[in-house]
Amino acid sequence: MSLKDLLSPFFVWQRAFEKPYTTLRPTLDRPGAPAYRGFHINITETCVGCGSCQTICQNNAIDMVAVEAYAGRAGDSGLRPRFDYGRCCWCGLCVDICTAASLRMSNEYAWISDDPDSFHFTAGVDDKPWQDNELGYRRAEGYHLNPPKRIEMPMLSAQESLKSFAEVTLGYNEEQAKKEADRCVECGICVATCPAHMDVPDYIHSIRDGDYEKGLQLMYRTNPFPATCGRICTRRCESVCPVGILGEPVAIRWLKRFIVDQVDKKDYQRILEKPIASTGFKVAIIGAGPGGLSAAYYLRQQGHAVTVYEAQATGGGMLRYGVPSYRLPDAELDKDIDHITSIGVEIKYNSRIGKDVMFESLLENYDAVFMSTGLSVPSSMRINGENHARVLSGLQILADVASDRDPGIGKKVAVIGGGNVAMDAARVSRRLGAEVTILYRRRISDMPADEEEIHECQQEGCTIVPQAIPVEIIDADNKQKVCIKWGEAKMVDDPKGGRARPVLQEDKMHTETYDCIISAIGQSSNLDYLSKELQEQLAFEWGKLTPAEYQHTSMKKVFVGGDFANRTADAISAIEDGHHAARGINRFLNPDFYTALEKQEN
Amino acid sequence: MNTVDEILDYAIEQEQLAADFYEDVAQRVETAGMKKILLDFAEEEKRHKKILLAVKTGEHELTPEQEILDLKISDYLVEVKTSENISYQDALIIAMQRERAAYNLYNDMAQKVPDGKLKHILLGLAKEEAKHKLFFEAEYDERVLTDN
Amino acid sequence: MTQLTGHSSALDFAQPEPVDMASGKYVKLWQGPQHPGITGNMSLELTLDGDTIIDCKTHVGYLHRGFEKLMERRSFIQNFTVVCRIAVPEPTFNEYLYSHAVEQLSGIKIPERAIWLRTMNLELMRLASFLMWIGGMSGAFGQYTVPNWTTAYRDFVLDLFEEMTGARIYHMYIVPGGVRAGLPDGFEKRARDIMDGAEKLLDQVERVMFNNAVFKARSKGLGIITPDMIDPYGIVGPNARACGVERDIRKDEPYLAYDQLNFETITGKDSDAYERAYLRLQETRQCISLIRQCLDKAPKDGPFQADMPNVLHWKIPAGETYVKAECTRGEYGYYMVTDGSEFVRRVHVRGPSYTHAIAVMERLAVGNNIADIAGLMVSLHTYPPEIER
Repeated sequence: MSLKDLLSPFFVWQRAFEKPYTTLRPTLDRPGAPAYRGFHINITETCVGCGSCQTICQNNAIDMVAVEAYAGRAGDSGLRPRFDYGRCCWCGLCVDICTAASLRMSNEYAWISDDPDSFHFTAGVDDKPWQDNELGYRRAEGYHLNPPKRIEMPMLSAQESLKSFAEVTLGYNEEQAKKEADRCVECGICVATCPAHMDVPDYIHSIRDGDYEKGLQLMYRTNPFPATCGRICTRRCESVCPVGILGEPVAIRWLKRFIVDQVDKKDYQRILEKPIASTGFKVAIIGAGPGGLSAAYYLRQQGHAVTVYEAQATGGGMLRYGVPSYRLPDAELDKDIDHITSIGVEIKYNSRIGKDVMFESLLENYDAVFMSTGLSVPSSMRINGENHARVLSGLQILADVASDRDPGIGKKVAVIGGGNVAMDAARVSRRLGAEVTILYRRRISDMPADEEEIHECQQEGCTIVPQAIPVEIIDADNKQKVCIKWGEAKMVDDPKGGRARPVLQEDKMHTETYDCIISAIGQSSNLDYLSKELQEQLAFEWGKLTPAEYQHTSMKKVFVGGDFANRTADAISAIEDGHHAARGINRFLNPDFYTALEKQEN
Repeated sequence: MNTVDEILDYAIEQEQLAADFYEDVAQRVETAGMKKILLDFAEEEKRHKKILLAVKTGEHELTPEQEILDLKISDYLVEVKTSENISYQDALIIAMQRERAAYNLYNDMAQKVPDGKLKHILLGLAKEEAKHKLFFEAEYDERVLTDN
Repeated sequence: MTQLTGHSSALDFAQPEPVDMASGKYVKLWQGPQHPGITGNMSLELTLDGDTIIDCKTHVGYLHRGFEKLMERRSFIQNFTVVCRIAVPEPTFNEYLYSHAVEQLSGIKIPERAIWLRTMNLELMRLASFLMWIGGMSGAFGQYTVPNWTTAYRDFVLDLFEEMTGARIYHMYIVPGGVRAGLPDGFEKRARDIMDGAEKLLDQVERVMFNNAVFKARSKGLGIITPDMIDPYGIVGPNARACGVERDIRKDEPYLAYDQLNFETITGKDSDAYERAYLRLQETRQCISLIRQCLDKAPKDGPFQADMPNVLHWKIPAGETYVKAECTRGEYGYYMVTDGSEFVRRVHVRGPSYTHAIAVMERLAVGNNIADIAGLMVSLHTYPPEIER
């Protein structure tokens, strides 16, 4: 033992004169670090209530509870997370998984209350002092617990696709589909948003499980057109998919298509159908489009005898005559329609109501009638010179091509309009070898056409001229040509908050000559098969009508659906109208059945 | 028509005539829906009339300086004749074109009078009509030009 | 001073004669489960002859939370919030090993930046853990000044954790796939300042604790581990290195960025309580050097997370793996079995304390007196929670 060992301990005194480490709480505040995982904050306006936080919480500290302010908001479950601080471990996984990045943590860590219930609170709804705290844990940029990017759909190159009417999208393979299916957070907001309320999370789950037959069964519960919708659905579901808030939404449509692609048509009957017991009731359906055939399918499943009257030579309606085959090949549409007919739905083709068969006779001979004749008349621009022989309608061109007729468009065409029909008419014209210019009165971002279609349209070499307002059609020197005069528009914001309006600038006019002008600015219905009295009785307004509950009209036997009976005018809405009408007709034909069923359910 | 009151009386009468016009067409159209639309238009005209009456009594000021957006939709549309089976689109075109005609009338009159109270009133009335035109044009833009 | 009742040497594993309690010559004394130190909730059942220990049994079970079982009922992402609790003073090693095992089984390769951030995180953890341990060691021998210094200084390291990870104790920073965030602005400067301060502190600690006559007198020769005990007992870490056995996973089987860091394995000669303590002091200094190297070499930008599947339904292919890392106490290992489902089939956590606090402690305690037991326990650096996962 040395003297040094005895003395050195006394060096502790040296530190007596140093500044102490201690923080003088509570006199001095010591805020948490800027990224401290403190008490929860939820920006309830941004939150859509997907519930991923609840799913990921390993302590069950989060419950999704209904918050009245958000009830019924579109693309929103109306639920918000409630935290139980008796369970929370402040791991922050809820913040990491939050699809909207609305959930975060403040750097506040001290909270004293004599009310134990106050530690059980709905962040952002129950007032807490840290709600506006700028600091605290946020998910770091570049950190993801769910891939933000979707699996890209394999597609034909623009060059390749222009050569024929072959389908442009090639479909996922199993590995791609499973990867994409993996991105679903199973919130179900899509189910609420889908007009047909398809059970999206469950059929996506069936992809993860590799059980495609179950997936098909789930889809047919609400939609007898999965092959079609898997290709051309307007996919409202994807627009509300919370994964799409910060990344790209789950490719619900392509996943639906994937399931259908995996199952052979010959197995449909075994997978989907049970023996049908006949009820003896007869139902007539006008129009073999998605609305009519959907109603036919579900009515037939209930045991009613169903006859569909169709003016054209084949079924599918707008799906066949309005959607080009590079988006929806005939074989795929036939896969859907053939299954509907395979269960005993009878379709009478080339039977136009009002000409071949009278509407009144249907009322007489059938127990119920479902009308779904859609919008088949192209709208007119109402500008001078519109009746020029070289002004063609987009719908007519699409129908010609679908029926293998040459629409005779020439080599240089202008398409007017920004909807899907305009895009399709343009892309069809490209495939027929024409140079295409699209004139649209607003901005490209305002176009009602599907974003992908606009993109593919540009890829295929169509020139889109936005903010171009047609003002006059003028005769050209040559009868085979036509001139259009259009003016540039400037966009003016709507002070009331609506979409910006285009204002014509009369000093910026252009005149251009084309081989033809394709007008595609919307459609309206053709009700010639109904007498004026019947139209009045059914309460049609400008060719459209709003049905009552279960798609019922003011006439006892008559139910309606499809484009002319809804505001959205897309396939999936028509399909739901048909399904809903089938429920209504079933109820109407057999009221006792429903009373019994309701009793059973209660 | 030389005095302010005369001009205002004329304008008020015009609004009443417009309201009568829509009510008259409403009696003849075939569908209940169209009838309702036209009666709504008539109501709109009566509202305009009320504003002008308020101007006459001094309760309301015309604002000729105000910039009113001109969408110039009606300027290039083919004229529509009224009939029993007009559509909503037709009805809107008729309404837009009537308002445009009124606007042009007051504007032309204003060019012909010297600066002063009268000119002020005429320009104010023109602006008032421009507002009405905007109302129908916005409706047309919203409801009819959906795909376009 | 060693007087092994019933055993001829530390390597005699024969069943000893039972102590004749009925004779009235002996007393049983329970030390713990609460200890005035940092050893946590563990109990020693001591049989005493006078104040000399003739038998020692370790009792655990005061801290059992069933982590391994809990993990079988939670998804792969949820588990990373659980594992940190297995060793309270150094949760990061659990986070790293759990994540590493999951990454191995699912075939995820983490980016360069994550590797460096993980390494730095682990070394910061080692520093914080050693600072607290020094306090415990000193306190166990009745010196209460050094614990005040080091545990307080540890809080500065915890401040760094708070900035880097968002929490002071349960960092939950190392996550399967990488880490949760990069370094915040100004972190490097503050980290360097704190390292400088720590270096100064360690000099002072060395002076007043290791050059202290009382500490030397009591700790030298206490609980000697001989090299021939290392393999039969499975002794690892500083306890093994202190008797000259060069055994350090960071060197032997380099993981993360350790093969790119400049350091040498530190060894001692006679592994008694003093030697072990002094070795840990040196390793604490080594930590500071490693942290500085990490600050120098870690990439400043780039991804810190690998591409991940949706963790909400993350399934990992069937397989098994054993991963290990050098924690402050030696080899820390995770054995994991997956069966292709969304849940782990089995996880086994292998903490060095199992050996050190049970087999080694029971043997080394014999022959010492009651007053030295606390110091002996701390000198083995044991954490009861990793014994009962």
